[in-house]
Amino acid sequence: MNKEKVERNQELIKKSKQVIKEAFEKYDPRKCAITWTGGKDSTTNLWIVRQVCVEENIPLPQVITIDEGDAFPEITDFLVSVSKVWHIDLKWLCNFDVLSACLSHLGNTVQVKRLNKRNQEELKRIEFIEDSFVFEAESYAGNHLMKTVVLNQYIEESGAELIFMALRRDEQAARKEDEYFTHKEGGYLMPEHTRVSPILHFTERDIWDNTHLHNLPYCPLYKIGYRSLGARSSSNPGDIGVPAWEQDLENVPERAGRRQDKEKAMERLRKLGYM
Amino acid sequence: MKNIILFTIDTLRKDSLGVYNKDSNLTPFLDSLSDHALIFTRFHSSGPYTQSSFPGILTSSYYLEFGKSKKLSPRRLLISEALKKNDIETAAFHSNPYLSDYFGWNRGWDIFYDSMQDEVSDMIPYITGDKVNQKAKEWLERYARSTNKKPFFLWIHYMDVHEPYIPKKQFLELVDPSITLTEQEMFELFTNTLLKRDISDLKKVKILRNLYRAGVRETDEYAKEFFHILKQNQMLENSIIFITTDHGDEFAEHNGLSHDGKMYSELIDSPLIMIDFERKEKEICPNLVSNLDIAPTILHLFGLLPEEKFEGNSLLPVNNYPEQGVFGEAIAKTGNHEKSEDLPVYYYRENDLKIIYYQGGENWEFYNLAQDPEEKNNLINSHPRVDELKKKLFPRINRWERI
Repeated sequence: MNKEKVERNQELIKKSKQVIKEAFEKYDPRKCAITWTGGKDSTTNLWIVRQVCVEENIPLPQVITIDEGDAFPEITDFLVSVSKVWHIDLKWLCNFDVLSACLSHLGNTVQVKRLNKRNQEELKRIEFIEDSFVFEAESYAGNHLMKTVVLNQYIEESGAELIFMALRRDEQAARKEDEYFTHKEGGYLMPEHTRVSPILHFTERDIWDNTHLHNLPYCPLYKIGYRSLGARSSSNPGDIGVPAWEQDLENVPERAGRRQDKEKAMERLRKLGYM
Repeated sequence: MKNIILFTIDTLRKDSLGVYNKDSNLTPFLDSLSDHALIFTRFHSSGPYTQSSFPGILTSSYYLEFGKSKKLSPRRLLISEALKKNDIETAAFHSNPYLSDYFGWNRGWDIFYDSMQDEVSDMIPYITGDKVNQKAKEWLERYARSTNKKPFFLWIHYMDVHEPYIPKKQFLELVDPSITLTEQEMFELFTNTLLKRDISDLKKVKILRNLYRAGVRETDEYAKEFFHILKQNQMLENSIIFITTDHGDEFAEHNGLSHDGKMYSELIDSPLIMIDFERKEKEICPNLVSNLDIAPTILHLFGLLPEEKFEGNSLLPVNNYPEQGVFGEAIAKTGNHEKSEDLPVYYYRENDLKIIYYQGGENWEFYNLAQDPEEKNNLINSHPRVDELKKKLFPRINRWERI
């Protein structure tokens, strides 16, 4: 890798480490948690946080992963094997109530009245008033129950105050102005907490450069063409057979393989002041 | 049997059109169609913004019918689905994110183009009317060439009148040459004045109003181009074209801007014109009608039986239209975003009397539109028919909680 790339990489990591140190100055590591999906971004993020912890002699915060009920087996294997190598006590979180209501089967219908009270309340909160929905990770109700609610419940139960996330500004135009720290006000069913994204300034290219430069592990799906890994049913490879890092990262949207409609619609509505 | 084209222009105030307001001078092309037009003079939107109004237009049902779900409920029947069942070809071309695939409006269409995969500019997050025309043109030409000679249903929707009010320069010059703002300055006016609903400086409000009017003028050109495309494909004579909107827009008439959750005339009284080139003379229809009536009318024109799920009535034949009031409902939001704590607002109109109810308090308003078309004089404590209209509005309140 050429010298400029190496220097850029050092600068990027330096910035991330500053953000992480700032986070640990403000928050007790025992009141922090790190989200890890097994994707390239959150793996990079975890790797940097872990380094800061080693260098500064800080205990590694709890690492959590959210199972949306539609995970790639390759991702699950990856999480298990890297946890072992990196000595991570990974906490698996899942909304089992929803899974049992749909018999863990994608595409099955979930009857809202069969859900527990909390999940029913959550659906009311997001103004979903249908009496059933089809279980898909990317659906309105499914997405909320399987991701947002699981994280909120974890925050509530663990008393976590700070959550490490792996968002990147270049992921979508709507994130262009994002800040490293964002505070979430508490409310009904929504615990107050702060989110920090130490790798916010990394581009997709930077992630791959970093991965190769430091020999980080990555999920094998990236090698066969996936650029972005979400739920199994809604992720498709970019150029089939071409490793992610060899694809046209600069000109083809990263999430071209993921359902983009929502993001596009949301971004336009945001621009019109609707969000 | 003719093709049916539903041609909707987002946020088009009724007084923009020459057929309703001879002083507007913004729509020379649309006005030129009036000899072939059936003009509805008392047509009402069922809600004052896209999400609250479009269920009326395309599903003939009210906004809060199935609760406040942001996505179109599967229990609603889109006109496209009703037509599809009867083997009628259906196509949609638009650029409104709230009506996109993601929000569930793509059901029942043979082709559904919502522009979400196309690039849009940073300041104007929708594609312009000429680009919508282009998409429709490709489809119409294919249709014209195909062996399928059955009539089709086409829905085409423009966004150009809708804020951020950044019209093309040549149209602004036609409407108000004294405005010399750059696009960036217009965008700042949108961000700092319109989005903040700041009406303290009436000069700015006037500029916004004229930028809006220039957008209408621009849209008239796109409409002209669209009709030209129809003509080129020999589809003008054998189509019936509905021209309408989802709602109007406010310029400080009731202390606000844009289109919030209010039920006043500038947002609710909408244009509806039905163009049929076989008609040789303008006709005016004063029936009190609603946008829920559009889908049933389309069924009627295709010779299909009414759909049980459609709550409106066919506008045709005009003499058979029932004498009744019109309803509308929305969320009483202020600002572009509907917040979860915002409560519903309802209206009911009968003849020239209109009652408005804001839920969450005993907030009622009552206007006599014949004497007070601007709705400034609230008669809720004095008009003898208040109780009667309250009773008629009542069955609609929180209807969805009762089903």
